[in-house]
Amino acid sequence: IQDDHKLSTSELEEKYGTSINKGLSSARAAEILARDGPNSLTPPKATPEIVKFLKQMVGGFSILLWIGAVFSWISFGIQLSQGAESAFDNLYLGVVLALVVILTGIFAYYQEAKSTNIMASFSKMIPQQALVIRDAEKKELPADQLVVGDIVEIKGGDRIPADIRLIFTQGCKVDNSSLTGESEPQSRSCDFTHENPLETRNIAFYSTTCVEGTATGIVINTGDRTIIGRIASLASGVGNEKTPIAIEIEHFVYLVAGVAISIGVLFFIISVSMRYKILDSIIFLIGIIVANVPEGLLATVTVSLSLTAKRMAKKNCLVKNLEAVETLGSTSIICSDKTGTLTQNRMTVAHLWFDNQIYSADTSEDQTTQPFDQSSPSWTALSKIVTLCNRAEFRPGQENLPIMKRVVVGDASETALLKFAEVIVGDVMNIRAQNKKVAEIPFNSTNKFQLSIHETDDPNDKRFLLVMKGAPERILERCSTIMINGKEEPLDSEKAEAFQTAYMELGGMGERVLGFCHLYLPENEFPDTYPFDTDSMNFPTSNLCFVGLLSMIDPPRSTVPDAVSKCRSAGIKVIMVTGDHPITAKAIAKSVGIISATSETVEDIAKRLNIPVEQVNRREATAAVVNGMELKDMSLQQLDEILCNHSEIVFARTSPQQKLIIVEGCQRQGAVVAVTGDGVNDSPALKKADIGIAMGIAGSDAAKNAADMVLLDDNFASIVTGVEEGRLIFDNLKKTIAYTLTKNIAELCPFLIYIIASIPMPIGTITILFIDLGTDIIPSVALAYEKAESDIMNRRPRNKKKDRLVNEQLAVYSYLQIGIIQSVGAFVTYFTVYAEQGFLPSTLLGVRVNWENNAINDFEDSYGQQWTKYQRTYLQWTGYTAFFVSITIQQVADLIIRKTRRNSIFRQGLFRNKVIWVGIFSQIGIALILTYGLGHVTALNFTPLRFQYWFVAVPFAILIWVYDEVRKLFIRRYPGSWWDKNMYY
Amino acid sequence: MATLNEKKTCSERMENFRRFVWNPETKLFMGRTVINWVWISLYYLAFYVVMSGLFALCIYSLMRTVNPYEPDYQDQLKSPGVTLRPDVYGDRGLQIYYNVSDNKTWEGLVTTLQTFLTAYTPAAQHLNINCTSDTYFIQDTFDGPNKTKLSCKFTSDMLQNCSGITDPTFGFPEGKPCFIIKMNRIIKFLPGNGTAPRVNCTYVVSAQANRAAFLLYTQGDESRPLEVDYYPMNGTFNLHYFPYYGKKAQPSYSNPLVAVKFLNITRNVELRIVCKIIGAGITFDNVHDPYEGKVEFKLKIED
Repeated sequence: IQDDHKLSTSELEEKYGTSINKGLSSARAAEILARDGPNSLTPPKATPEIVKFLKQMVGGFSILLWIGAVFSWISFGIQLSQGAESAFDNLYLGVVLALVVILTGIFAYYQEAKSTNIMASFSKMIPQQALVIRDAEKKELPADQLVVGDIVEIKGGDRIPADIRLIFTQGCKVDNSSLTGESEPQSRSCDFTHENPLETRNIAFYSTTCVEGTATGIVINTGDRTIIGRIASLASGVGNEKTPIAIEIEHFVYLVAGVAISIGVLFFIISVSMRYKILDSIIFLIGIIVANVPEGLLATVTVSLSLTAKRMAKKNCLVKNLEAVETLGSTSIICSDKTGTLTQNRMTVAHLWFDNQIYSADTSEDQTTQPFDQSSPSWTALSKIVTLCNRAEFRPGQENLPIMKRVVVGDASETALLKFAEVIVGDVMNIRAQNKKVAEIPFNSTNKFQLSIHETDDPNDKRFLLVMKGAPERILERCSTIMINGKEEPLDSEKAEAFQTAYMELGGMGERVLGFCHLYLPENEFPDTYPFDTDSMNFPTSNLCFVGLLSMIDPPRSTVPDAVSKCRSAGIKVIMVTGDHPITAKAIAKSVGIISATSETVEDIAKRLNIPVEQVNRREATAAVVNGMELKDMSLQQLDEILCNHSEIVFARTSPQQKLIIVEGCQRQGAVVAVTGDGVNDSPALKKADIGIAMGIAGSDAAKNAADMVLLDDNFASIVTGVEEGRLIFDNLKKTIAYTLTKNIAELCPFLIYIIASIPMPIGTITILFIDLGTDIIPSVALAYEKAESDIMNRRPRNKKKDRLVNEQLAVYSYLQIGIIQSVGAFVTYFTVYAEQGFLPSTLLGVRVNWENNAINDFEDSYGQQWTKYQRTYLQWTGYTAFFVSITIQQVADLIIRKTRRNSIFRQGLFRNKVIWVGIFSQIGIALILTYGLGHVTALNFTPLRFQYWFVAVPFAILIWVYDEVRKLFIRRYPGSWWDKNMYY
Repeated sequence: MATLNEKKTCSERMENFRRFVWNPETKLFMGRTVINWVWISLYYLAFYVVMSGLFALCIYSLMRTVNPYEPDYQDQLKSPGVTLRPDVYGDRGLQIYYNVSDNKTWEGLVTTLQTFLTAYTPAAQHLNINCTSDTYFIQDTFDGPNKTKLSCKFTSDMLQNCSGITDPTFGFPEGKPCFIIKMNRIIKFLPGNGTAPRVNCTYVVSAQANRAAFLLYTQGDESRPLEVDYYPMNGTFNLHYFPYYGKKAQPSYSNPLVAVKFLNITRNVELRIVCKIIGAGITFDNVHDPYEGKVEFKLKIED
């Protein structure tokens, strides 16, 4: 940034060619606008829609299917030129394959677009207005029309429309939290206070908010040249990493494609060496590829993820990027903000001290009752001071809202006190009206107290009541007596000591402590008409009566401690990263359980053992509170050491930039890191994180843009429910994939046996597509609704290098065991159909060449009957249908066994997941429609199958179920055994 | 995340693969210890043995349940297919082209017929009996030797002029060729409902669009039909050849034949002729199956 903060007003006027009173001329402003462009941040470059669309067309298995389609067309071309009748079958097959790719591509694209659209609605901001002086007139202009040199006026509540050098201020305070993360409002003046433009008081930054007061300033930077703009462009520089689930799916695609290609090539070689024609071998190759590729699976995965995303949205986690759903599940470290995420983001009275005793106040979200003893007359006095010595007011018209939800005009502490008083003593505004205020000195930083003088509400008491609150030590200085049980007693050193102890104790809890005192002014000295003058202070401000202390804190959300302990049992490390003071940070960390009750920091141990900090064995301390200042001087190794050695870490007084360093440190440990953030400055860290979580309420647009997920209620507990959903979907995707892969073997075996044994083709390529994209789709989505088998929040996060989505066991068990049982079942049906129609199994072997010969129309079966080519083909289609039906029936069993991976189905409950039954019925329904409804459409190769053939594979379906129950039984019975290691996926 | 995206060089990949195949430190061969491989192989061996056993058991019981004499269902065999001899297939079905003056073009056709008829010599038919009845030859009992049923004799001399006995060239050189029509066997199929089914050959005139071609076939004379001699008389399949009881019951059964001799074939024109079998229970209107109840072929005789 330039040195505008050092320049004087006139120098600035000169530099920007403007005038403080008149502003720019409209013509000049238009010129500059044309030169600099509008005052808005350039949105991050979006991938063109067409590129996204094409990506879907070539991603995953699409390439394999394209190859299949191209091969089909090539063989169509060759056969057509040879004049073969069946050439068009290949043309259609190619078209169908291409359609499959295009349709699944469109589907995936649509799903993506749908989830992106949710986010797009977020980024649309309400156009902001700014009050500008131009042509010597005040004008309301859209903020994006501002140019350098414009004079703008700001008042409390406004968002700063650009980077502004202030030239006139009145009680101006800005909230820089979106920039620095520090939630405390900072005052702004016209004075040059710091060399660093970021620290100096006379510059207000774009996108921060003015909390109170008014100010006028010259615009010195607009749009992307603002500080925020630079950070935003920094964020877009942090590359997007692949999500863990994307890596898993890629791994799975490689695996399946590898299997498909190697089997395809192997059998291509086999068929060529068995003297099949090259053209036929190519057609076999297509069949093998189609059989091996689970066409519908990627669409299913997308649907499952978006179902979970929907479920998470209901629980206030809005997922921007579908894959982030699972990333959250594999999270092993959460770097969380304090303010607003762990805490309620509002000051609340937490403790009181009067009558020499500390009382706790209720700090939950809806304070209905306050449990502490309210019978003491000291409390009556204290409550009166709290009520009266307070300038905060409720906005009118909120009588029906709960007190905690009402909007208050006033600063955070005063708001806390107002609400506290309203809860306990009732209608504060009425009390104030009855105790008319006659004089007031507002809080300022020099005297550090606030004072007001009131008439009393007792008509018999004509005295004035002076009430005062402020920094406790300052208040105490002004007191000579202290109220104990309603009686004024002299403030001796013993009582002062008690005060000190209480003050230290409350301060040690990270709370902001205020002292309260009062004085009834003697009626004779201060009659009704006494002219109180706050400038000359013609009333006593010392020898007052000390009444008590109140301490305030931004209390943790009530759901957070539970959520943190859930994280702990789920093996997720929660790290607090905050801009707040270490003491406050530590206190909150302790109260929510980020630092557990028993663990100590190095400093704690030093204090306990009464030895210097340096002598403490650092490894003994499980907790650590790291100050941003220390972090600044640390090397990467030191940071790694801290992240490694301490399980409970709080980073306090950190800048958002340091957040990025912390995230990178965690990632160096191999962790999957979730980061919460709301400020613009958080966006690099959000981008860098494996999953960036932006706050929906407090979050800036830049943060939401950079994040993968938005927490609608800003609540940490929602992250934990998100983690649970993410872990569940990972488990369920495993089941879905296992389910889908199984039948691929039953689809593949026919081709292999056909090539090797030369039997009539058992199943057609089109029929396979009807399984993959017809009967199997709804059941595999239904597995996404499966409930968790055990408490998934009681196990450690998955190791992204070891716990793969598709591991060896899963593939092997599905392919080589269940898949084989299915194939056997389907082949038994196939042979049954052929045998009962006249072709006994022995006749079928080696029959392929004559069977497929168009010139043989008196082909003899096992009984001496003679068949024309069409009669044989029709029987072959009946065989396809039978094979199809058998696979479908066995897939029902497969679906049921996939409900669990370890537990017995009976423990999981057959009927708990109703969607599974929808799946089963849809599966059978689709099969029935295809066989009997469309059985007469010859192009589909289905025939109305005799009903009994539906039951041939049933024993195999039962076998699958029983076998899997046995597998699960042994896994449960013998954990860690050979069986467990090889059979559990 | 960055760690997962590291690009590996080719040599690193090879090295990784080599380590995967045999890791000397952990003694892992392809990710498992050798003993582990033995166990897993044994398990799969056992698994596949059991599965093969199950499959064999299923096929065995299937074979036990099927009837050895006739299949359980004849869903696809509602109406018999019809075939033609000689059978030369071109791009679109049967096509018989030859040149009367070039005996190389028809010798193959004649040989096909001769070979085909060797199954119908008296010697080949000696196991079968002479039948004279003109009704179905229903046999409810096994009257033949070795628990078989009797079959009726069909000898090539029944085809008279097309038997190859009087004219070993089957009329090909004269441009009046013989063709043999054969109906496919279907177990227990009773064609004709009491009347003997007969063969009827005509030109194919499917639509008005073909009218020009048709006129060409008939040399402008619309009333000039295809002149055909049928052997045996009227081109009938005698009912005593039906029903067929299957290979096991009638091992020596041979299909009855009908020979057709075309007398007025226009030379040098490609003609489309269809021979249908007329009889109750025999359909020839299946659009998908060109050989059901009929046989269609192209004939072109050049000179």
